[in-house]
Amino acid sequence: MNSEKITKFFQPESVAIIGATPKEEKVGKAILENFISKFKGRIYPVNPQYDEVLGLKCYKSIKDLPEPPDLAVIAIPAPLVPSALKELGEKGCKSVVIISGGFRETGTPEGIRLENELVKISKEYDIRVIGPNCIGIFDNWSGVDTFFTAKMRKPPRGHVGFISQSGAFATALMDWMAYHGIGVSRAISYGNKIDVDDVDLLEFLGADDKTKVILMYIEGLREGRGKLFIETAGKVACRKPVVVYKAGKTTRGGRAASSHTAAMAGDYSVYRAAFKQAGIIEAESFDEMMDIVRIFLDQPLMKGNRVFIVTDAGGVGVMLTDALTSEGFDVPVTPRDLREKLRNILPPHCIVENPIDLTGDTDDERYIRVLELLAKRDDVDAIAVVALPQIPGLKGTFIDYLGDLKRECDKPLVALTIGSEVSMKTAEKLREKGITVFESPERLAKALKALRNYSLYVIKHMVD
Amino acid sequence: MTPREIIENALNENRNKLLEHEAFEVAKYYGIPTPTAVLVRTPEEAYDLADKIGYPIVLKIVSPDITHKSDVGGVKLGLKSKEEVSEGVKEILKNVQNRAPDAKIVGVIMYKMAPPGLEVIVGGVRDDVFGSVVMFGLGGIFVEVLRDVSFRVSPVSMEDALEMISEIKSSKILSGFRGQPPADKEAIADIIVKTSKLLMENQEIESIDLNPVIVYPQGALAVDVRIILKRGNK
Repeated sequence: MNSEKITKFFQPESVAIIGATPKEEKVGKAILENFISKFKGRIYPVNPQYDEVLGLKCYKSIKDLPEPPDLAVIAIPAPLVPSALKELGEKGCKSVVIISGGFRETGTPEGIRLENELVKISKEYDIRVIGPNCIGIFDNWSGVDTFFTAKMRKPPRGHVGFISQSGAFATALMDWMAYHGIGVSRAISYGNKIDVDDVDLLEFLGADDKTKVILMYIEGLREGRGKLFIETAGKVACRKPVVVYKAGKTTRGGRAASSHTAAMAGDYSVYRAAFKQAGIIEAESFDEMMDIVRIFLDQPLMKGNRVFIVTDAGGVGVMLTDALTSEGFDVPVTPRDLREKLRNILPPHCIVENPIDLTGDTDDERYIRVLELLAKRDDVDAIAVVALPQIPGLKGTFIDYLGDLKRECDKPLVALTIGSEVSMKTAEKLREKGITVFESPERLAKALKALRNYSLYVIKHMVD
Repeated sequence: MTPREIIENALNENRNKLLEHEAFEVAKYYGIPTPTAVLVRTPEEAYDLADKIGYPIVLKIVSPDITHKSDVGGVKLGLKSKEEVSEGVKEILKNVQNRAPDAKIVGVIMYKMAPPGLEVIVGGVRDDVFGSVVMFGLGGIFVEVLRDVSFRVSPVSMEDALEMISEIKSSKILSGFRGQPPADKEAIADIIVKTSKLLMENQEIESIDLNPVIVYPQGALAVDVRIILKRGNK
């Protein structure tokens, strides 16, 4: 582990691109184009074959660079990488992203030898390395962008930080988040992680004020890094939620023989325990992962366990009650004083018991009056609004009201809507107002549970 | 002997598994409750010590070369007098000599049979990524079939250990089931915490199984302790 801090990767003033080229469909071109279009600092293409690339002066070698670059990106064939890294070390560059593949991941003796050489050189010159065999960094705030996947849509600036062991998944997820309008602060794919790994990146994003939620895709941590990972994540989780998707959940068979405990301790069960100890929220599926990210982005902590449901559809209210109860939530009986107030404001055919059913002839006004009552109460910890928009009386003013409420209310406000375009439209408007919307009761319940679990961790550690 | 001496001794003898009495001694050093056990070498020795141990008595052959003790006639349960005990030792030694003539015999371990109770497992293992890790589960089918266990990475506090106990799906069984009194969860948690410490302080240990730990309304007893050392320590 090299000692230099990794902040330069994300805030460099100058960058050298080793392997920059004007040739179409080359990684070195895509990366250079990324920097030209968004990066405000000095850019130095390096390639012995050109005097100029895409309008920039091109340097024949690293030695010729006018200054040690804060950051270097290497995109040249694997056999040439060690000498480039060495030259960068001699030049005084301390942060290097190695995009090139052809190392340990090939499983060949030559690949392993080349990678070992990189490790040695990086130690000798105290260079921090991300990669090799990775797609590197996509930084929406500084313009550092080595994601060379041209067909990927880039997500808007925002507050989700993403650490990924898989480059392809990182690309797909950025594309997906762009499509769904979820903003990203910085995304990092670290590939073979010969130096910079999950622990370093977690620490960095933990301290990064542009990142409000950290999402991690992990296959496996490096040997011996587990305890430090727990310690680091545990500290970060007190400040911001860390959501993990762990891939590779099947058990390791090889150790089974020696003891009972070893036989039970498949990789995954120990990871699960570790996540729990570190206050990390684990997502068990892709859907759940993104649901959890969304609820964390928009909702405050959930301080207690009691959920009140307001619905225009009795059946969906019951479905949601079941889903919430199976996740361990209380869907309490409406307290007597609230029941009386509801009776006074609602027509007699409405049901004042929780789930509070405004029935299919409801208008926006009924929602507004009930929400107004619920939002003020200390015995309500979260409000789930079921708004099936197919009924004739709903015009949508309750959505504006929810937006106003969201600004004052210190409880999570979530919504459920099911249907075609009309439902999508409702969902979109609700999201604009900061209400987290779900399409199924089960997904709502699971995401809310993640928020509740995280809240418990934070509350516990604030007291400690 | 201290755990360090016991472990070094085993490694010097090229063993990667501690013998029963050694494992008990290591556990006991860390305050894990185990039955009072003695190692005897002759029927006469057993005869003299039986009254002091108390009845019913369990006898087991101790040999680095024998894994399945019952298969070679190396186990006797529920012996109720010193005569039975000395006879038992004689038989075990004879059985083993006949069925495993090449096995090196260290002696016979004898201890008072623990009264029946709820059986749980506490274990520990060294993980490549996380280092020492502890496990808890209920005995028998709960672990073997349902894999209903919980883990924590060391160090674990009493609070962590209690959480591990309540986390398994079948944890209700511990709170009293079909008229059974509730089991002593604090006593189990205490054993988990001590197992974690044992594992952290002895890096040569690859894994430890306390299986079963018998839990009572008050207290718990680890009646079988198995400690495996890492290969290639010496």
